[in-house]
Amino acid sequence: MDLARENTWVWIPLPQKFQAPMILKLILGFCWYLLHLMVNLRHMGSSVNDLLFSYIISMGLLLKHQNLQLDELNSLAVVVDSEEAKNTTKIKQLLCWLSSIGIKYVILYDMQGVLKQTIRTDLESLTNTSMTPCSVVDAKMVTSLFHFEKMAIEIISLADGKEGVAKAASFLYSEHMKDDSEICYRSEPDFTESDVANALKATGSAGAEPDLLLVYGPARCHLGFPAWRLRYTEIVHMGRLRSMKFAVIVKTMHDFSKKHQNYGK
Amino acid sequence: MDGNSRWAKARGLPSSAGHEAGYRTLKKMVELSGQWGIRALTVFAFSSENWTRPKMEVDFLMTLFENVLKESLGEFLREGIRVCIIGDSSELPPSLQKLVKEVVDKTKNNTQIDVIVAISYSGRKEITQACQNIARKVKDGLLEPEDITESHITEELETNCIPEFPNPDLLIRTSGELRLSNFLLWQSAYTELFFTNTYWPDFGEADYIEALTSFQNRQRRFGQRIN
Repeated sequence: MDLARENTWVWIPLPQKFQAPMILKLILGFCWYLLHLMVNLRHMGSSVNDLLFSYIISMGLLLKHQNLQLDELNSLAVVVDSEEAKNTTKIKQLLCWLSSIGIKYVILYDMQGVLKQTIRTDLESLTNTSMTPCSVVDAKMVTSLFHFEKMAIEIISLADGKEGVAKAASFLYSEHMKDDSEICYRSEPDFTESDVANALKATGSAGAEPDLLLVYGPARCHLGFPAWRLRYTEIVHMGRLRSMKFAVIVKTMHDFSKKHQNYGK
Repeated sequence: MDGNSRWAKARGLPSSAGHEAGYRTLKKMVELSGQWGIRALTVFAFSSENWTRPKMEVDFLMTLFENVLKESLGEFLREGIRVCIIGDSSELPPSLQKLVKEVVDKTKNNTQIDVIVAISYSGRKEITQACQNIARKVKDGLLEPEDITESHITEELETNCIPEFPNPDLLIRTSGELRLSNFLLWQSAYTELFFTNTYWPDFGEADYIEALTSFQNRQRRFGQRIN
């Protein structure tokens, strides 16, 4: 036998010190994959559940969602990402849905004032100035108030939020100096929350405090909605405007009607 | 940090037990925040509306705050925690007011993590106070009334005690409530809001990771267009 000519396969086992870590890596990798799979399945199940629920609500099969008790919902705010606010078709559809649900007062907000430029024109033509102003808010307090069917709509932007407070601060100072002008030794300014509220009213930046705020957009934040009006507002992120569903709005209203606030007590 | 009382009620315990459990959770969250490189943490400990709660509960909370600050001062110094207290301190018991000043003063040079504790705090009151401070500046000739802008308001807010981080990136509210309840109303314009049903004493590392992961997945535009 010529050993030099034969092809010999020899299995050389890995040194023991390398075997354990490799096996461990494989096991860990498998566990990580399994975890991802479980999370994905959970999310998929949740999405299917939401879709099913939306369908059931849309078909009016759930009694509790048919007769919504909206006595506690005096005012609803809708915050829309300014990019998404350009989709006026969706905005108008949303307003129709809200009106059909029975919402009496809606505050529409986007940061850059896109809604003021787009929706405002349409609403101005629809607004019946002879209609009795909505009882939720003093119509004189609000500069951009319109009426759509039985719903009053206020349209605001960042200019009515943080900039509004800056104007109110300037107004407060002017009023303080006016009151103080007769006094020899000028007193230190001592403002209360009522003073600020009145200043906001005087400068046209006051308005109803929404009970519920719906956020449409990629980020879950209120995008500078007037801070003064957000104290006890329930905030719900609704996802993208293009994906909005009537059933989700109905469910949100229903969930809100079950809420109880203790206002810190 | 909501849900202490409900957590205690669910276990047949007095609300004081819930607040004590809540403190242990806070301690854990501060520790985790420091480990994960979070530079500023603001916690809502007591609101101006909470003064209307039963006197026994309020007295207990004031005593708890005092004990926590006394016991933790050493740890703040060891761990490099800078403490800042915001809210109307004039309503606090005199002994707590004195202790607050001492803790803030002794930790002012720490740099590892800033912890802002809101006690007797109201977002609206904070804005009102900012307007008042601005009026004083105008009266002193440092500012013209027509030059007042929102950035002047921002500078005068109490949270400006940590000027490097004036606005939180993420706000977590526990116990299933979906509102700000007069907390950081001005500062939260671009803050990602994360609401969880977990009561505060049960809020743990896994919940914190979930909130942070959710934050990382968001496309935050800060009002700008993303190309």
